[in-house]
Amino acid sequence: MQSIEGVVVIVQEGRFQLFDDDGVAHFFVLGYYAAMEPEQLQSLLRHRVRVRYSDPPDVIGHQANRLLLLNAR
Amino acid sequence: MDMPLRAADLCGNDLDGVIPNESELTAGVRIVPGRSYGFFTDTTLCIGCKACEVACKEWNNLPADHLGLTGDSYDNTGALSANTWRHVNFVEHGVRDDCGTPGQSGWLMMSDVCKHCHNAPCLEACPTGALFRTEFDTVVVQQDVCNGCGYCVPACPFGVIDVSTLDGKAHKCTLCYDRLKGGLEPACAKSCPTNSIQFGEVTELQQRARTRVNALHGAGVKTAYLYGVPDGPGATGGLEHLNAFFLLTAQPESYNLPRAPTRPANRVAPSLAAGLTTIAALAIAALSFLAPRKG
Amino acid sequence: MPEGNWDGTTYYGRPQLKPAPFNKWLVGGYVFIAGLSGAAQLLATLTDLRRGRAETNAVRRGRYLAMLAPTIGAVCLIADLGTPQRFYNMLRVFKTTSPMSIGSWALVGFSITSTATAALQCMADRGRLTAWFRALARVTQIPAAGLGAVLCTYTASLFSATSTPRWAAAPFSLAVRYASAAVASAAAALSVGEPRRASLGRDLDSLAIAALVTELAATMAEQQTVQRAGIDDSWSNLADTVSAALALGLFATSLLLPRQRSRLLSAAGSAIVLAGSFAMRVNVLRAGQRSAQQPNVRLSFAQRG
Repeated sequence: MQSIEGVVVIVQEGRFQLFDDDGVAHFFVLGYYAAMEPEQLQSLLRHRVRVRYSDPPDVIGHQANRLLLLNAR
Repeated sequence: MDMPLRAADLCGNDLDGVIPNESELTAGVRIVPGRSYGFFTDTTLCIGCKACEVACKEWNNLPADHLGLTGDSYDNTGALSANTWRHVNFVEHGVRDDCGTPGQSGWLMMSDVCKHCHNAPCLEACPTGALFRTEFDTVVVQQDVCNGCGYCVPACPFGVIDVSTLDGKAHKCTLCYDRLKGGLEPACAKSCPTNSIQFGEVTELQQRARTRVNALHGAGVKTAYLYGVPDGPGATGGLEHLNAFFLLTAQPESYNLPRAPTRPANRVAPSLAAGLTTIAALAIAALSFLAPRKG
Repeated sequence: MPEGNWDGTTYYGRPQLKPAPFNKWLVGGYVFIAGLSGAAQLLATLTDLRRGRAETNAVRRGRYLAMLAPTIGAVCLIADLGTPQRFYNMLRVFKTTSPMSIGSWALVGFSITSTATAALQCMADRGRLTAWFRALARVTQIPAAGLGAVLCTYTASLFSATSTPRWAAAPFSLAVRYASAAVASAAAALSVGEPRRASLGRDLDSLAIAALVTELAATMAEQQTVQRAGIDDSWSNLADTVSAALALGLFATSLLLPRQRSRLLSAAGSAIVLAGSFAMRVNVLRAGQRSAQQPNVRLSFAQRG
């Protein structure tokens, strides 16, 4: 499983986009065993997080399995 | 806190710069809770640009799926799925033969979407109540309730809703519920360059559609008809009507639509009755077999 | 109106429907367990009401067999969910249009009443206050039996209340098949423990035969209906008929054999009935999912009239 750090910029239902330090946007769908509810994602908007993710086949996007809030604003 | 410039730009404006009741300007309809809204898709105007697919993916932050080329004309999306809520069909229909008729040549192009049925089978099948009817008469899945049982999937007669293997919940077109609440028309309708996808109140759209069909018949396109209006194909078997209905010029099967779908909930009571009657009959047989013996 | 009838062309051969995302082993297994448990509770109740104290062993076995649905059955169902940790959301609402909703509530009710009955049976067996526990069990078994009857049949309406052609084409026959298969498997399972081929064992066997005959008739009727609806699944149909006929034939044969060896053979006969019932459930799921993926089948099923 891989890991990435960045700022959460867009949240829609259970999906979010992360901007990493190089300015590249990464696409995530909150996985079903992520131990987190979709509505909690809204509170992470504009915060820096670390995401542990996996890459399912036939999709341009990642499945977020674990999110860690790095610093509250 | 140092955020990359682009990131700050993207999440900086929370709805400043949005015109109140923008839909009045873009779609000519004011969005009022309590009224019935839907789509009228006039396939004779569709140019197959797929702006609707892109707008839907962008607004709803959906990942791309069905990667790879299909070889089926320009349709590389394939079908509606948990991550694809707008899908444009392409059928090349003897292009050179029909060059004389007005409107489209031989191409059949249709932007397929959730029909937001009046008696939605997915809604009726959902055991958790995640699927519900909004104040705009649309059908939406509540993502915080759905537990991915998948019973809505075989219930849908149009093969629209699907359970995502990534997040284990069911997804489909929401008719941009969040946009409707903000007075904006859905993303696909707004982005359609030819106004093939028209957003509005269902009754008004049906009137507009009937006028358009008559105009087409007058212009020589005798095969034009409405799919999804009351008593028409697509709205059969107890479905009443579809909030998102279509103007088609060929048989529904060419667009991968069923001609006469039925409402699955009509089969619940007969099936239960038959089953319980069988149990009752076998129970009576059991009672007679089990009659107390002497000694 | 669209011109003329459907000319048979599909959209590049792509499926028009989506198949149910059910794991056929988990869900097929649950349907089998639910039918077995529900019918076992029903038969235990009927035996208790009819024969009373004379057949406490059979009644005990039936009540314990009914515990399969609340335990293994529920686990199968929860494992098949996309988001299993939200399984309790099944009890947010009660919808009469959704057999899955009806069934979830029926399963909960059955679990509570059957567990109570089994627990009371267990307490009665321990020897103290036997009469009281037994009397209480006689009360709780009634709603348990009623809900058990629902558990035997609601799964058929669950499959029929979809757009999948194979399941939607013959709702009556499917319901009769499921109900009779459940009663047959419970009767066969309960007759295994019977010490002698007299009285109750023979009665349960007769009931099993009656149920198996009903199932065979319903299987053939379903195939007729399904074929008329334009769904051609000849290998699956053949497998269904053969397995139903085989279960009936082998079970009947095991009953006719001499008394000395009949115990082992009757157990084998019951095992065949149970295996056949399980295989039938899995096959119904498989056949349905396959029919949903075939556009020519689905589109011809959705023609007018």
